[in-house]
Formats: sequence, structure tokens, C-alpha cells
Amino acid sequence: MSKPRAGIFGLTGCAGDQLVILNCEDELLDLVSLLDMRDFLMAASDNDTACDLDIALVEGAVFSRRDKERLERIRQRSAMLVAIGSCAVWGGVSAAERNGGLAGLLDETYGTQGRDYDATEAYALHQVVKVDLKITGCPIEKHEFVAAVASLLNGDPPVYPQYPVCTECKMRESNCLLIEKSIPCCGPLTVAGCGARCPALRIPCIGCRGPAADANAESARQMLAAKGVPEHDIRQRLRTFAPTGGSA
Amino acid sequence: MKILKLPKDKLDYFASVVQQFGEVHAPVEQDGKYVFKRLTRWSEARLAYDRTILPPKKYFLPPKEPLLVYRPGEGYVAPAGDVQHRLVLFGVHACDVYALNILDLVFAGKYPDPYYQARRKNIAIIGIDCVPDGKCFCRSMRADFVDHGFDLFFCDIGGHYLTFVGSALGDDMVLATETLFETVSPADIDEYKRRSGAKHEAFQLDVEIRDLPEIFEMEYGSAIWDDLGAQCLSCGSCSAVCPTCYCFDMNDEAVLGSRAGTRSRNWDSCLFSTHALVAGGENFRESRSSRIKFRFYHKQRGFVAEYGRPSCVGCGRCITACPVDIDIVEVLAALRETRHAATH
Repeated sequence: MSKPRAGIFGLTGCAGDQLVILNCEDELLDLVSLLDMRDFLMAASDNDTACDLDIALVEGAVFSRRDKERLERIRQRSAMLVAIGSCAVWGGVSAAERNGGLAGLLDETYGTQGRDYDATEAYALHQVVKVDLKITGCPIEKHEFVAAVASLLNGDPPVYPQYPVCTECKMRESNCLLIEKSIPCCGPLTVAGCGARCPALRIPCIGCRGPAADANAESARQMLAAKGVPEHDIRQRLRTFAPTGGSA
Repeated sequence: MKILKLPKDKLDYFASVVQQFGEVHAPVEQDGKYVFKRLTRWSEARLAYDRTILPPKKYFLPPKEPLLVYRPGEGYVAPAGDVQHRLVLFGVHACDVYALNILDLVFAGKYPDPYYQARRKNIAIIGIDCVPDGKCFCRSMRADFVDHGFDLFFCDIGGHYLTFVGSALGDDMVLATETLFETVSPADIDEYKRRSGAKHEAFQLDVEIRDLPEIFEMEYGSAIWDDLGAQCLSCGSCSAVCPTCYCFDMNDEAVLGSRAGTRSRNWDSCLFSTHALVAGGENFRESRSSRIKFRFYHKQRGFVAEYGRPSCVGCGRCITACPVDIDIVEVLAALRETRHAATH
């Protein structure tokens, strides 16, 4: 079998997911020998920007007309499109709820001169084109990315946990910040896969990976409100990384 | 059963001798809670503890456990695992020993599990008695005392630990310390009985388990399950900390660029929306209420039908671990209440 032609792209975002890929130092030589990397602007200057691709990995949210055009073009070129990172999967912080909407945001950032700037409401990739696979995380986890490539090369979809961070937190036997310290922690709502890294360091989960399957936001809201967390803070927290909702 | 006593001031010495039987793990404090952990020195052990975050289950059925390594053309082999590693768990409470005896029914019964069995053989258990707190209801679940499933069991009788010798390995531990253990006197027997009776009276929680499976049977359509479904976060904390929850999922992880890989057994939970999801996308327990109902039914009814007793041991961990305060004792009490207006 010939090597799958691959491209890695960034829309509006911090490029953190592409950095995670480049930081897979132990696997990088294997990755470039297993994939025919045609188009990866962040890592190469000589790219084939027109060829058909077997797989495209796209990070970032759609936040401008240019993003939308690029994404649609990538979709046309690619047999499989993978959203990588919370921005691509959920809209991420670009799409976080703000008072005043897009116009208010432009005014606040650029003054009145910014009104002609190429900016749109922010969208997750699946709101614009068909997405075949989603790898969430802010940024994505190395092991989940490598597992995805390993599985896809064998023709299998990768299997990720869909349960909340709490379970991984218990697996590593961390103290519960919510119960023991009444610290607002998004562990019960956020999809696992990170190994409950933050609570293990006594830092509450801020939900950066987006919601777990069947997350019970209403019960969590009541629980946090009973602990004295203001309603506005709860809403803000729950909508920072995954404003578009839906399921991973 | 051989019953001896150990002077409390000789416990440190005993612990040092016991190291020859395996790596000693005991409860240590972690930010106000307790966890079973490898001791770096004996003084870290906290034998007067309430309950550990995770039960000793974690040693016998680890959260993530590689079961086999596969390679096309070569079949599969067991990974170079740690099942033969010899440990001594020091300071296990009766309910947790009872829970291991329940896991034995599942993993060492009709379908023997070699990984579990090897660990059960290689991990020694030294039990210790405890003082019930406001979350303990092991007496109600008949798990406040164990007569097997341990190597030694210590009961505080003042200046000594009355010591039940539960296995040949336990007897070897006693013999290895030669003269440390003493014969029990009639006064010790009285003191043991007095303290055992006092402990029995010290429980603050009580659950009546008589005819509970039948009540579950009749209350299958109760609104209680819908209320719990609305409350439950499906976070899986209760099942992770439960000493008898043993559901697992199997996952294959391929080696990059190869069809070889590792098959692992990972903790699963009936609270997860994927637990009863099958090929084709059908889900037998799609709603949260059906899932939390299933968990209660399996503990208090299904397990009774299969093995003759509930699988709950009353350790209280699920009560302490639930972020939204779902309390099994309250749920069982609510099920027992007569809530229906008389219509006849």
C-alpha cells in the first residue's frame, strides 16, 4: 500500500495542536516515514497546496471568510478530515460567549477601524463542513494523536474515553477539589483523556476538552450554585471551551 | 483458627519483619484523605484511618491493565507484567476484605481470571479493625466481620492486638517473628468481646436488607429512579471507588505502523452512556435513570440472585465520592417508605 498523503492545517487558533504533533519527538520519524506529508505549512516551506489528500488534520476554529474558504478547499481535497483540538471540535475560546457579539468584539479590539476586518462569528469545523473524526483537547494529547494515526493506518477508528474526567481522577486517586474544598471543578462534565492532570496538581478542571458524553450540565449547575458559585461564573466556565455544544 | 495477641509496642518490629514477605503497602495520609501506598518508612502508615479513596481493589484489578501483547504471525503473549510481584497490604478493614471475598466469587469462581488469581495469591492481607463513622454501614451489609480472605487480622484490645491467623502465610509471618506473639488470656477474651459488642453498637447508619431484592423487584417503575437520573452526573466516581464494582472494557492499542499492539482491560462503569452501547448504535440503557437504576439493581438484587448476597459491603465510599450527594442509604430508605396513597 502506498503511503497515505497527509496535510496538517491551522485555521484561527494558537497552533498548539500542531506544536503537539511536532513535539511527538519519539514518534516523529515514524510518522513522517508512514505518512506522505504533502502540506504542513508550520513544519515545511515546500508544500504541495493543490494535491488530493488521503487525510487532512485541521486545527483552529472558523473565524473569518478566509478560514471558511480554506476549510472548504481542504475538505474538497481530502478523503478524510480530522478536527484536532478543542477549537476545531467545539469552537473553543474563539467562539466563547461574549456580550456584544461580533460587532462589539471588533469595536472593543480595534476601535471603529476594525469594522471592515475579515472576521465572522466563530464556528467549529463540523458546523461548516463534514468532519470524519474529532480529536479534542486544548491542546490534543500526544498519545491520543499517535493512537489515532496508528489505528487509522490499520483502517480502524481510534477509540477514546467518552466518560468524564472524574473517573480518571479517581483512577489516579487524587483528592476531590469539588467535594473536599468546594472548588468549582468541571471534572464531572468534561471528557476524559487528559489523565485528570490538573486536579492531580490541585488545579480545578476548566473543561478545556469539552463535554463528556451525556454530560448533566443542569445537575452540575445546581451543585455549583449550592456551593455558592455565582450563576454567571458557572455559565462562563461551561461555555468557554465548548460553546457550540453537541457531542464529541 | 489460631488466635494470638501482639503487644502494641511490638507492632513496629513486626512490620519490619513482615517486609521479607513482600513490599509493604499501607494507608498513608494525602491531604486529609487516605490512600494505600508503598511505604518508604513504617512511620508513614496510618492504621487509624477512616477509608482510603480507592479500595484495595486497585491492586487486584488495576484501573488499566495490559492483558496481552499481539503480533501478526506470532499470536499473543502475556506482557511482562507485575502479577507475580509480592506485596503485603497492611491495615485492610473488614469491609474491604469482605469485598475481596466478593470479587473472588466473580474472578476466581466459574470463570477463573488468571491475572486476578495470581495477584490474590501474591498479595498478602493484614487486616485491622476500625471505628465506624457516619458513612459506615458494613454492619447492615453483614461485612463488618470477616472469617477468611486475609492472612492476619488485628483487633485492638487495649495494650495488644488480638490476632486472627487466617492462612498458612499468616502463620509463617507469626513464626518468622518468633517470640513476639503471646497466648490469649481469659481477660483478653473478655476485652475482645466487650469491644466487639461496643463496635456493633457504634454504627450510626442502619439499612434493612431483608426482602430488599423483592422490594427492588416491585419498585422497578418507581419515580425514585427518574429523580436519581436527573441528579446523577454519570461521572463514574461511585463505581471507581466501589470495592466490588468490577465492570471493565477491553481496548486494543496498535503500535504505530504495525498491526501488532497491546490489549488492555480498563475500568468501565454502568453509569457511562457507552456501557450498554452495542454495534449498530443500539443502547440498552440510554437514559441516565436507567443506568443508575441498573447500578443499584445489580448491587442489591442481581448479585443476590447470582451469589446469594448483595455485592455492597457498606464501606460508605460512594457516599463520600458523589459530587451531587447521592446517598445509597437514603435511596434504600426511600425505597422502603410507603409513598403511595391508599386506593383500596
